[in-house]
Amino acid sequence: MRIAKREKKPPEIPTASVADVAFLLLIFFMVATVFRTEKGLFLTIPKAKATERILKRRNVAHIWLDRYHRISIDDNILSLPKVRMVMESKVKENPDLITVLRADQNVDYGAVNDLIETLKEATALKVTFATEFER
Amino acid sequence: MELRRRVKLRPAIPTGSLGDIAFLILIFFMTTTIFSREKGLKIVLPEKGEEVKIKKENILVVEVNPKGEVLIGERIISIPEVKPLVEDALAKNDSLVIALKVSRRAPYKVMIDVFDELKLAKARRISLTPVKETE
Repeated sequence: MRIAKREKKPPEIPTASVADVAFLLLIFFMVATVFRTEKGLFLTIPKAKATERILKRRNVAHIWLDRYHRISIDDNILSLPKVRMVMESKVKENPDLITVLRADQNVDYGAVNDLIETLKEATALKVTFATEFER
Repeated sequence: MELRRRVKLRPAIPTGSLGDIAFLILIFFMTTTIFSREKGLKIVLPEKGEEVKIKKENILVVEVNPKGEVLIGERIISIPEVKPLVEDALAKNDSLVIALKVSRRAPYKVMIDVFDELKLAKARRISLTPVKETE
C-alpha cells in the first residue's frame, strides 16, 4: 500500500470572520450603553440588605440630596418649589416615571421628608431610595 | 512614444483592517459602558389628600427619635430587633400598617436601616408619616 505524502501547509487561523465577531460585540455594547448624563452631587449612599434592582433604566429620574440640603436634578441645584415644577413636567412626559432619591446617609431626615412631600405634590409617587447592597 | 497598456485591476476595498477598526470602537464602548444597575428600596407614596384613616389597632408605630434611637411603643430597641418584632406583629394581624415616624433631626441612615428591616420583615404596607415639628 502506498501512502500518499501529505503536503505540508503552514497552519492558519481563519481571520475573515473576526470583524463580524467584533461588530457583533460592538453592537451589543452600543445598545447596552446608557451614557451618564448627570454628574450629580458628591455623597455616600446608605447600605441596605433588602436592596432591589430597578429593571427599567430608561424610566428613571434621579434626585440628589446632599448633606448640605442641596437638591440636584439634571445637574441643577434647585429649591423645593422648583423641584415640584420640574418633577411635575417629568411625570407628565412619562407617567411610569420612577424617581430615584439618592440622598446622603448623613443628611437629616427632615430634608428627605420635605422632598418626599414635594414629590407627593408633583404626583411622582413611585419613589426608590437609592441604596447599596449590604451583605 | 510608446504608451503602455495598463493592466486592468479589479477594484477592491482592502478589508484587512476592518477587524482592527471594529475592535477599536468595541474597546471604546466597553470602557465607557457602566453597568450600574439602579438599585434601592421601593415605595409607592400615597397621593396628596388621599390619606386614609386607619383604625388604631391596625397601626404599628415605629418611631425614630432625634438621637437616632428606634422605638416601638415606648420601648427603645436596637435596629436588628425591629425585624422579629414586626414579623410577630404581622403574624398576629394581617392588615397591619406600619407607620414609620422619623424625627426631622434623625439621620437618614437610621431611617433607611429601619426601612430595610421592615422590608426584610416582608411588611407590605409601610407608611412614612410626615412630621411637622419645627426647630
